[in-house]
Amino acid sequence: MQRRRFLQALTALGVMGGPLRALAATTPGAGSAARTAVSVDELPPLEGELTVYLGRGEGGLYENVMDAIRKRNPSLTLNLRRGPSAALANTITAEHEAGIQRADVFWAVDSGSLGLVADTGAARPIPDDIHAFLRPSFRYPGWAPVTGRVRTLPYNTERVDPAAIPEDIMALPETDLRIGWAPAYGSFQSFVTAMRLTEGDARTREWLRGMQARASSYAGELGVVMATERGEVDLGLANHYYTLRLKAGMPDASVALAFTRGDAGSLLNAAGAMVLNPGDTAFNFVRYLLTREVQGYLAREAYEIPLVSGVDMPEGLPPLSRIQPPDMDLTRLSELQPTLALMRDVGVL
Amino acid sequence: MRRAPLSYPLAAVVAAAALLPVAVLLYLGVGAGPALSPRALGILGETALLTGLSVAGAVLIGVPLAVASACIELPLRRFWLVALTAPLAMPSYIGAFALFAAFGPGGEIENLLGLTTPPVRGLWGAALVMALYTYPFVLLTTRASLRGLDAGLVDAARTLGLSLPMALLRVVLPRVRNGIAAGALLSALYTLSDFATPAIMQVDTFTRVIFIEYNAFGLSRAALLSLQLLTLVAVVLFLESRVGSERERPGRPLSLRLQALPTTAVLVPAALVLAAAIGLPLAVFGAWLAREGTAGFDPAIALNSAYTAALAALGTVIIALPVAYAASAGRFGRGLERVTYLGFGIPGIVMGTALVYVGLRVPFLYQTLALLILAYMLRFLPLAVGAVRSTNERLDRNLVGAARSLGATPAEAFRRITLPLTLRGIIAGAALVFLEVMRELPATLLLRPTGFESLATELWRVYEAGYFGRAAVPGLLLVLVSGLALLVMTAGEQRIDNAPARDRQR
Repeated sequence: MQRRRFLQALTALGVMGGPLRALAATTPGAGSAARTAVSVDELPPLEGELTVYLGRGEGGLYENVMDAIRKRNPSLTLNLRRGPSAALANTITAEHEAGIQRADVFWAVDSGSLGLVADTGAARPIPDDIHAFLRPSFRYPGWAPVTGRVRTLPYNTERVDPAAIPEDIMALPETDLRIGWAPAYGSFQSFVTAMRLTEGDARTREWLRGMQARASSYAGELGVVMATERGEVDLGLANHYYTLRLKAGMPDASVALAFTRGDAGSLLNAAGAMVLNPGDTAFNFVRYLLTREVQGYLAREAYEIPLVSGVDMPEGLPPLSRIQPPDMDLTRLSELQPTLALMRDVGVL
Repeated sequence: MRRAPLSYPLAAVVAAAALLPVAVLLYLGVGAGPALSPRALGILGETALLTGLSVAGAVLIGVPLAVASACIELPLRRFWLVALTAPLAMPSYIGAFALFAAFGPGGEIENLLGLTTPPVRGLWGAALVMALYTYPFVLLTTRASLRGLDAGLVDAARTLGLSLPMALLRVVLPRVRNGIAAGALLSALYTLSDFATPAIMQVDTFTRVIFIEYNAFGLSRAALLSLQLLTLVAVVLFLESRVGSERERPGRPLSLRLQALPTTAVLVPAALVLAAAIGLPLAVFGAWLAREGTAGFDPAIALNSAYTAALAALGTVIIALPVAYAASAGRFGRGLERVTYLGFGIPGIVMGTALVYVGLRVPFLYQTLALLILAYMLRFLPLAVGAVRSTNERLDRNLVGAARSLGATPAEAFRRITLPLTLRGIIAGAALVFLEVMRELPATLLLRPTGFESLATELWRVYEAGYFGRAAVPGLLLVLVSGLALLVMTAGEQRIDNAPARDRQR
């Protein structure tokens, strides 16, 4: 419930207009409200050598954050290993089992991948002072959420009447819409995991089968949104920011966002970071990610939802009154293997 | 009793190393699951379908061009031959990337010319790319067969009343069939091993699914699929070894003279093929370069590629020397050489999977440049061995004998006679390995150290991130590297063309 209230709070702020202050409103009943984000100036400089496994860096924007951190901390040697979040999570797991430890920090765009690593026991506990920046519902023992993203249904505004889009994700296969999706994409797989957890395996299998008949596959979700805008498909399944980014560059693009209600179709997932090799540098690196500067940059440029207080929300986020994410413990999204098995079995992967 | 040649123990060590990846895959893959699940059959079907379509396309393009380049008096004949072989030097992912980005709604052709074109992707797209980049295999082998024909037989058929097309069909075709088959099998081998083209075009072939399994760190499933792919490769290699080339009594080479109109009818399709295989990637990368400039490209990436390739070339040549000398020394040595040829049959993605596992077991190698270079060495060893061996075999044994009889130790004879005289082959071998490593993608993707990007992985990253404009510089550099590879290869070709003349002198 807390997450729904969090979004309702955002909505209220949005209705009031003016600069949105994310998470400025405290949740009633939450014992320890989030501390306002600090500036990088208040953090100690990073030193020594740090290896970060960076899960799919969102078109170079995470890399810009890395470059900025490098520039600020000349005595830090920062090594980056890039790859899809799930692939890196699996790499870390295999390394952990073989007794090898290469990554100091794992910054992944998808909480399922973080949960997977957390389950192996490779993650080091997040200290309280880092938790203090985050909203209570986002305080996980093994990892720190950095930014949020909502699952959406981008649709072509010229071809589709928004009233024809079902509010129940499970009803989507029964429509006559042509659908675009990216089954190989990590966020999509997390969404299917969420569906499995809320609806059960049998219904999820049925849903995938039904969708398969009317879906075209794309390599990534930017591709899905672009195909929707072009009218190659009527409606897509994608994270919210791809549409916002496309519209930022092309304000009259014929694509808009729809949301389902209270089901996996509007899952609120988080990108986050975990520390694998304890040390000041690794934990301070995570503190950097929660500063006003980094959070503000990711909200402005990547259109991600900041998860600390005192940072503006991304521009162009649709009326949040229409979003009702399901109640979900994000760490459970690590139950990815049964999802992949199911998707393979149905033949969508 | 004669002592075994000095090169044997060293060559044996190299051959054992060449067996390592297969041993690892067998250890990991056997018993990793049912060998014939419905899913495996689906992948097998898709792979076979893609290979069949690609080979058909390569034959359809390659055979007519072979006839044109071997038998028809064309203007600028030498130029056309080199140009038409050029796509072979380019990695097919360059073409796959360019075609993927150029065609379809929202593609570069629509952006630049306003023409809406159908998208090139999926099975047909991948087959088109494969045909465009592997037809030169068919062209070269078919052309070699055609050049070996005696034109007298065609003349005889013509005087007996067959029309020219019928004479080509009934007299020439049966005798170049083996040449076409050899080229077709090489094309099939390339298609089976290639990773990036099916991945970009999104066709679920073995190589693509192995990569997906690797990403889920299902190493044993990836190994099982790798073994299945290796079986297919072995079948193709076996077929290839069975395709013999009959030698005919040499005669006047077949030559056809065409009127002005048919010459254009030959040159226009040839130019179209080149425009699609080479012109289009150059145009697409060029357009991106003009639009986005060189910003966003880190020159360190090009240096990384060159530096690693240089190390790999050096290492490969060093281990190739004993193998090549052993191959010339006797039957056991030839057997050892055969074993090292395994690397050529092992697709890069399979080599990568095997060595990632080695790295996890031998942590001081894990994610190191050393392991990556070992993968390159094992994979491209046959190129270096072949180049060194071909010059070594032309070496007059009597020279070494003379040096020995004049009192030189075997080591001195090697240093002062054998090495200088095979230097040409060594350099050619090193150059080939260098250029192949510069363009290698799948093994690099799996084995690179943290923070290491090569030209090929940078192109892959740009593709995955969807920031196509940034592909301009790495793409053009890869085309340039491919051009250099073509120069080295055609230089070798000329030597082979001249080789029969030298054989006759002996």
